[in-house]
Amino acid sequence: MSVTKTQTGITPAGTQQEAVCWSCKAPSGGGHFCAACGKIQPLSREADYFAFFALPQKLQIDESSLEQRFHQLSWKLHPDNFVRASEYERNLALERSSELNDAYRTLRDPISRVEYLLLRAGVRKEGTTKQQAPPELLEEVFELNESLDELREAKSEGLPAGAGGDLTELRAKLTEAQANFQEKLAEVDAELKAVFAEWDDVPVGIEGDAARKSVMAKLNELLNRRSYIRNLVRNVGIELEQG
Amino acid sequence: MAYSDKVIDHYNNPRNVGSLDKKDKNVGTGLVGAPECGDVMKLQMKINPETRVIEEAKFKTFGCGSAIASSSLATEWVRGKTVEEALAIKNTDIVRELSLPPVKIHCSVLAEDAIKAAISDWKQKAGESKPAAVEAATPAHS
Ligand code: FES
Repeated sequence: MSVTKTQTGITPAGTQQEAVCWSCKAPSGGGHFCAACGKIQPLSREADYFAFFALPQKLQIDESSLEQRFHQLSWKLHPDNFVRASEYERNLALERSSELNDAYRTLRDPISRVEYLLLRAGVRKEGTTKQQAPPELLEEVFELNESLDELREAKSEGLPAGAGGDLTELRAKLTEAQANFQEKLAEVDAELKAVFAEWDDVPVGIEGDAARKSVMAKLNELLNRRSYIRNLVRNVGIELEQG
Repeated sequence: MAYSDKVIDHYNNPRNVGSLDKKDKNVGTGLVGAPECGDVMKLQMKINPETRVIEEAKFKTFGCGSAIASSSLATEWVRGKTVEEALAIKNTDIVRELSLPPVKIHCSVLAEDAIKAAISDWKQKAGESKPAAVEAATPAHS
């Protein structure tokens, strides 16, 4: 199995080619099994989830073929195939199986796929990214928070009988706002898809460096916006559900 | 996580909660937010166009205790200061005053951003700066 060189240059060039089989000492080819003797190989530290599936670092992935590869690999790496193998090989198989599951879970979902890509590239760091709310949404966000507050207050005050009108009105307002933000979420997803295509068109190698950077920044911003809106929708949902 | 006494004090007795008339041309409004935690902060100040002194400041924050304390403190600090003095307030000053732990630094950044945004809104209204200057108050996405 050949390993595609990563597009982002995260993987130091040449690491894959140097991989040598632990058993037969021939170049292993960098795949799951040695190209020469067929023995299972240890995971390379630099390998990423894309490489695990022998995929280039592209964001548009044919999900059905990914699933197919996943099934093939889980079958090949299944412990049943290693009952007669050495303990070392059994461990390698186990290690690869669990990597397989992580890789599949991450790449299968477009959002976790792009998050993973940006994390690997160091563009996104969990929790430390400079956050900025989408400026054009701030007004609406603020209003939404105000209505949420009013609703909480109205609830905690335990409205006297007959005063339910306010609450109903607030709920209606919030439900509407929620739908509105849900729509915005769909818009962001559509935008993300478009930028996925842009990413996939970035030329490999140094000539793509500038474009790669700017597309990554775009993706990162869209992800921030997405998580922001998703949080809002979720909060409103929680508040509306609770009695 | 334990909040410092000062944070708790501002949280329990927030100073200057409320709003000012957004349409008043002497009022600058800064609305900023942090996507990950969903917190939003609105800071408004009424500025005397002659003396450039901030005469009144109000805030409303939907967020964590540190964000509320940071904005409450910010309104206290900017009152009586000139626009230029207020712009010199750094989030690190807030961090120090409130003894915020590292994970809560972004809450103080929000307050500093809100001050800057309110002032740049006021300047824009006063015709002191072109709309482009608003961008300067918004940290560039990197
Ligand atoms: S946790 Fe977000 S502002 Fe404090």
